[in-house]
Amino acid sequence: MNLRRQLGIAMFRKKIKDTHFIRNLAIFFAILGPGIITGSVDNDAGGITTYSVAAALYGYGLIWTLIPSFVVLLVIQEMNARMGIVTGKGLSDLIRENAGMKITFFIFIGLLFSNIGNTTTEFAGIAGSMEIFRVSKYISVPVTAVLVWFLVVKGTYKIAERIFLIFSVSLLTYVVSALMSKPHWNEIGSAIIHPQVEMNSQSIAMVIALIGTTIAPWMQFYMQSSVIEKGLKMKNYRFTLIDIAVGCVVTIVVAFFIMVACGSTLYPAGIEINEAKDAALALKPLAGAMASQVFAFGLFVASVFSATILPLATAFYVSEAFGFEAGIDKKWNEAKEFYILYTGILVISAIIILIPNAPLIQISIWSQVLNGILLPVVLVSMILLINNKKIMGTYVNKPFQNIIGWGTVIILTGLSLLLLIMPAIS
Amino acid sequence: MTSLTTFYLSGIIGKEAFGADGDAIGIIKDLLLNAVPSGMSDPNLQLITGIKLKIHKETRLYSFKTFRVVKAREKLNVSCSGLIELSNEEVDNGLLLVENILDKQIVDLNGRKLVRVNDVRLATLPAGTFAVAVDIGIEGLLRRIGIAIPIKILLSLFKVNIPAKFILWDDVQAIDHSNLNIVLSKSYAKLHTLHPSDIADILEDLGKKSSMSVFSALDEEKAADVLEELETQTQIHIIENLPVNKAADVLEKMPADEAADILDELEDEKAEILLKEMDLESSQEVRELLEYDDDLVGSIMTTDYLSFSATKTVEEVLSELRLKKPESAELYNMFVTESNDELIGTFNLRDLVVAEPNVSVSQIMKSEPVSLFDDQKTRAIAELVSKYNLLAVPVVDRQNLLQGMVVVDDVVEDLINERRTKRR
Repeated sequence: MNLRRQLGIAMFRKKIKDTHFIRNLAIFFAILGPGIITGSVDNDAGGITTYSVAAALYGYGLIWTLIPSFVVLLVIQEMNARMGIVTGKGLSDLIRENAGMKITFFIFIGLLFSNIGNTTTEFAGIAGSMEIFRVSKYISVPVTAVLVWFLVVKGTYKIAERIFLIFSVSLLTYVVSALMSKPHWNEIGSAIIHPQVEMNSQSIAMVIALIGTTIAPWMQFYMQSSVIEKGLKMKNYRFTLIDIAVGCVVTIVVAFFIMVACGSTLYPAGIEINEAKDAALALKPLAGAMASQVFAFGLFVASVFSATILPLATAFYVSEAFGFEAGIDKKWNEAKEFYILYTGILVISAIIILIPNAPLIQISIWSQVLNGILLPVVLVSMILLINNKKIMGTYVNKPFQNIIGWGTVIILTGLSLLLLIMPAIS
Repeated sequence: MTSLTTFYLSGIIGKEAFGADGDAIGIIKDLLLNAVPSGMSDPNLQLITGIKLKIHKETRLYSFKTFRVVKAREKLNVSCSGLIELSNEEVDNGLLLVENILDKQIVDLNGRKLVRVNDVRLATLPAGTFAVAVDIGIEGLLRRIGIAIPIKILLSLFKVNIPAKFILWDDVQAIDHSNLNIVLSKSYAKLHTLHPSDIADILEDLGKKSSMSVFSALDEEKAADVLEELETQTQIHIIENLPVNKAADVLEKMPADEAADILDELEDEKAEILLKEMDLESSQEVRELLEYDDDLVGSIMTTDYLSFSATKTVEEVLSELRLKKPESAELYNMFVTESNDELIGTFNLRDLVVAEPNVSVSQIMKSEPVSLFDDQKTRAIAELVSKYNLLAVPVVDRQNLLQGMVVVDDVVEDLINERRTKRR
């Protein structure tokens, strides 16, 4: 029923009996994974687009948002890991069992739609990055979609995940792009310490989008099931914490360098962009063809990685919450709803991209907005669950975790409301 | 009034109950089901015994005897002729439908898997109100959100039906008994009819708390069989969380090689505590097996085997078997040894059955048997097994003294695992 057989890495079985140090190291590598994989999936096409657009518009001006994002990301993912380890249950199971049918329905229908939007963005990333390499989207999108479908359904997903993990190192290509773009470190430093951004609906929307893409709701579900799947224990919790921290650092560092790359080149040149592809194209005259291709390659890998995981994970969580049989080891007739969901998400997203003149920017904005509305709801459910002694026993939240959790909910909700009211005021 | 009214749990929860004079007396929060029947043919099986009512901010359980659910013009009406509070014993013997069943996972005994409950179907008969079935279909989902009827009408325009999926109450086993004080083994009685490997699959899909309570309710024999079938991760979780004496009892009941595999995965201190708690004979066997490295034949051999002296007659062997009632794997291959345990021959069940009763074992045995060394690599096993078509191979040390045997079942598991890891 759960993701155990589908989304995991084989358990590290051999027991090391030698020295304490080697033993600790072995435990660490055995546990390593959920946080880092989640962190890598986080920087998907949607994320790269948002970071590039924000930096092209505001230069280094919004880089400071990465710091609160990092703190919140760390706290939330820690909560997910703790819930997974203590209960052994997925977040969708817990929500369904404790929040009632109507809230469950709202969350998961919202998750379904926002993830169709997100997957569409991934395919946009695939199409865009391949166009840099002169491959038409009418070839790249259908081919990738079919490959991804077979990869998952024919059960070679485990190999794929490892390959992706290695490829996710290519996300570091953004560091290269950033360095090639000759950044002004002094300005970056002062922009982080003294952030100066005027308040208007565009900048508020940008901040919500940045936080929303860094802390995407579906990742909470993904994180929790990876932890269960790994069979982690409270005993080795400090290693899990390290793993989560490393994952969050990777996410934020990559985001930082994307923003630096675009902020150093596009912003001074006054180039406005709408898609991540535009960023890659625009880098060409400013930072060289090499930087542009490096950027495009990173975008491609990140998009395919997320396009593989997103539809599968979404089909899983929705099935789990509604009690449909789920799993790629099941036959079509046993798990009809699951397969319809999985295939449907992939096919719909791929088709949207192939429609000539499809309103891609609107779709991407709307899925961000949905993310933004969902995130506080999911967060509230999570905070209520994790403070429930019946479920968590002695492992309920500490006060500071609750403060950060509720603080995030309030600030996000406040920003969203502000965004709604803003046009009415001005 | 008709004698039979059927309705859904979701149809009355949150509604008001009315007194004899027609005034609303409180809001219905939950129903209590009799969970500990005195037997399978108990007429009170599946009977609703209690109702949880919220009367002015106070929520209490009352007896359902004075309540009646009637359907009038497609509308449900719950009426009450007087409030009687439930005794503690009745509460303890019950299962709350909303708290323990609705939205929770339960075991579908026919499908041998976990399913999630969307709704519960109930029926009012002259003898009382009974839980009839659980609804696990999409229709139940839509009903809960309150859009089943409009969607049904919409779809009927296209001549499409929403599939309804029900499981009879007889065929389900509730898992969540968190509010109960009753003996767990009684409440999981139905689960015992399942095959150990099916129970193992279900345990793996359950959360940590539930898997522990279900496992603890199994008797030792069943528990040992189930534990054997579980994946390593779940095995460790269960052994670590079981009280030491219970864990030791279960490990004793398991074949020594399986027990050794589990203990090998545990931390050394924990394994030592368990070994000390086990009876001496079992723990010694396990200890010997733990000495072997993972890739040696000795690590997967079982020490549960049958050996006889060459002078025994067929009749004596058979009566010994009748007395011992060994597991079927032990009968795959039986061994003939000298008094110092040196292996001199093997025979199988067929050799035994077709021979005359007074013939001695030395006449039916195959001498110079195929065997493995305990310090040989496990790779050698597959070749030997397939070459000689053996179900079990004796394992000897370098002095040709019998140490155990390798059973084909264990090798098959290892071979499949090996192929699986290669494929991934």
